[in-house]
Amino acid sequence: MRKVHSVAQVDQAKCIGDRICENICMTGAIRVVHKKAVVDEQKCVACQKCIDYCEEGAIRLVPRSQPLVLRVDLSEVDQDQLEKLCRKAHLHPDDVICPCTATTAGEVGAAILKGAKTPEDISLMTGVRTACGMWCMCLVQEMLRAHGLKTTPPKGYTWYEVDTALWTIPDEVVRKYPEYRLDEARLLFEERMDNQAPKES
Amino acid sequence: MHQAAATPPRIMPSVSGPELPPCRVADLPGITSLEIRRLFPEVPEQIYLKGEDFSAIRRATENALKDVDMSMIRPHDSVNLLCSEHGFSILEGGPYKEMLRTIKDVVQARTGCENIRLRFSVGSAKSEAREMIAYFGLEKDFGEKIASVGPFDRGVAIETEIGTLYGIARIYDADWIIHAHYDDPRELYFHHLIDRALKPFTMSYARLETRSVYHKNFDSRSSNIVPRAIFESPFVQSKFAFACLLMTSPAGVVDIGADNDLHRLNRRLIINTLKSFGKLIRLFGEIDECVAALDAGRWPWYLHGGGLTSGNLFMAPTDHLDLDICPVRKTGNKLVNSAVKMLLLNYTWRENLHGLLAFYPIIIASREIAEGLSFGVQKRAKMIADDLEQALSAAVQMAGTDKVIVFDGSFGSINLSPSMRDFLTSRAPEVSRKVDEHYLPLWLSQRGIDPKEV
Repeated sequence: MRKVHSVAQVDQAKCIGDRICENICMTGAIRVVHKKAVVDEQKCVACQKCIDYCEEGAIRLVPRSQPLVLRVDLSEVDQDQLEKLCRKAHLHPDDVICPCTATTAGEVGAAILKGAKTPEDISLMTGVRTACGMWCMCLVQEMLRAHGLKTTPPKGYTWYEVDTALWTIPDEVVRKYPEYRLDEARLLFEERMDNQAPKES
Repeated sequence: MHQAAATPPRIMPSVSGPELPPCRVADLPGITSLEIRRLFPEVPEQIYLKGEDFSAIRRATENALKDVDMSMIRPHDSVNLLCSEHGFSILEGGPYKEMLRTIKDVVQARTGCENIRLRFSVGSAKSEAREMIAYFGLEKDFGEKIASVGPFDRGVAIETEIGTLYGIARIYDADWIIHAHYDDPRELYFHHLIDRALKPFTMSYARLETRSVYHKNFDSRSSNIVPRAIFESPFVQSKFAFACLLMTSPAGVVDIGADNDLHRLNRRLIINTLKSFGKLIRLFGEIDECVAALDAGRWPWYLHGGGLTSGNLFMAPTDHLDLDICPVRKTGNKLVNSAVKMLLLNYTWRENLHGLLAFYPIIIASREIAEGLSFGVQKRAKMIADDLEQALSAAVQMAGTDKVIVFDGSFGSINLSPSMRDFLTSRAPEVSRKVDEHYLPLWLSQRGIDPKEV
């Protein structure tokens, strides 16, 4: 869950329409129209990435009149289905997959079960990926794949599809690099899933 | 007789942190200093600790580069000299900057290549690169051939043995790359000193998705396959010229290492780190109660005290160098060291809402410092003091211990309270014996290194 109190605002005089902000924005809130950046206020989560990456200093945050609340009610989805989805993604529903916003795999799963089809949808529904914007990305992609959704990255370089994980490493690579104990790690993952890991701090 | 605390390195002003504090913890009357080599005399002596004379760094870099093959670089080629922001947090950044300048000069002189570009990598925010490039005057040495690179920049696909991963395009947009890094044992709990010298290929030089895979789709031991796979990919190998490392011990900068063979350099790094830092890391694990004072310019995990980053205290209950200890999954890292009873914040950078500061009671040294931290941290603080002296006194009282350890960027010595000095001094001989007889041979052999050879 995340409550967003501010929103990005573009200084049209400074904007040179270089599309960097469009490519950085993780919720698709910024589009360049007629060589000027335009913010969709309903999609801006005030992550400030556009501000940081804009060399022209053309973007700033201003307060929202009403906070934007990003939250999914887990009780509104089928709990068995939710658990199965998380398990398929090698996660437990209580796993905090986004430490910045404390968003759990369960919340992300609930967003998917309620219709989210892209990382952008999930961010706007749960708040995941809206702070550091990095660490949870592969888990969001894994959850979407686990639900059978094939995602296509947006034009540009906002994000790329990556599916490398412990459980996708070819066996010959596992054998080639025994120093990383990949076999042992896989067993530990499986044991953890079987033991229904307790809720994490 | 009371020994005054060592003067800590200066803090670089930053938009990522509060206004600079008027006073450092080391300035307080109750704080003293403990030299690392009094604790562990065998810690390698430094070639640089402080001051504006970097000639020892230049000489060491030139010496290290003597045996490095640069014949692949032709006069009209382009070369990206890759650096990472944390190197500039070591001893005010001067040694790392001097190493980078020297690499450029030597490569130019030996190859005739003029097109050497500095690629300045940041963990996340480009503003950090912009202000550091200005603060360290890097334009003076590299002119317009500097670019800041971050995880959200355009990517380049890298085909590896473990799948397609993404590097940052501007890291690899030259004929050759030179990997210029440092070895201080930060984030041991993430890499366990397995492939420390390779790690930047999955972090500093990688897109956000690759960083995410490294941190979240593996446990912390097996994740070392990710930088290895990227580094060994035909794409990276086709561009890799050599690597150069700023090598440290708790005493300061001890040498510069350089090699065309990154694995050989990594092995040297491992041996140096285990021998130089191993005892201090285990000594941190002995601390039973303390107030940890944060007083330097980076995030709370990355502040040096006695040359060791603060994260090593927060994760000290586990021996992260022992590869037989089951590593927790990245979603479940336990951040709490119950021995840390209180954090005293005199200076640190802002972090995300659920960062380290969420796990400990906090006292903030002043209203001005508090206003430069996040609202969440201010709200959670047990107290926002009128000044640093009051803050320290309250921290000691609320924590129920007068053992204070300070992370203020120092190498060579740790600033601390007399009771912490006495505690560490009393425990050091036994820790030293255990590391020599048990831990060091174990750590080395787990990494395929014969202890007898070392």
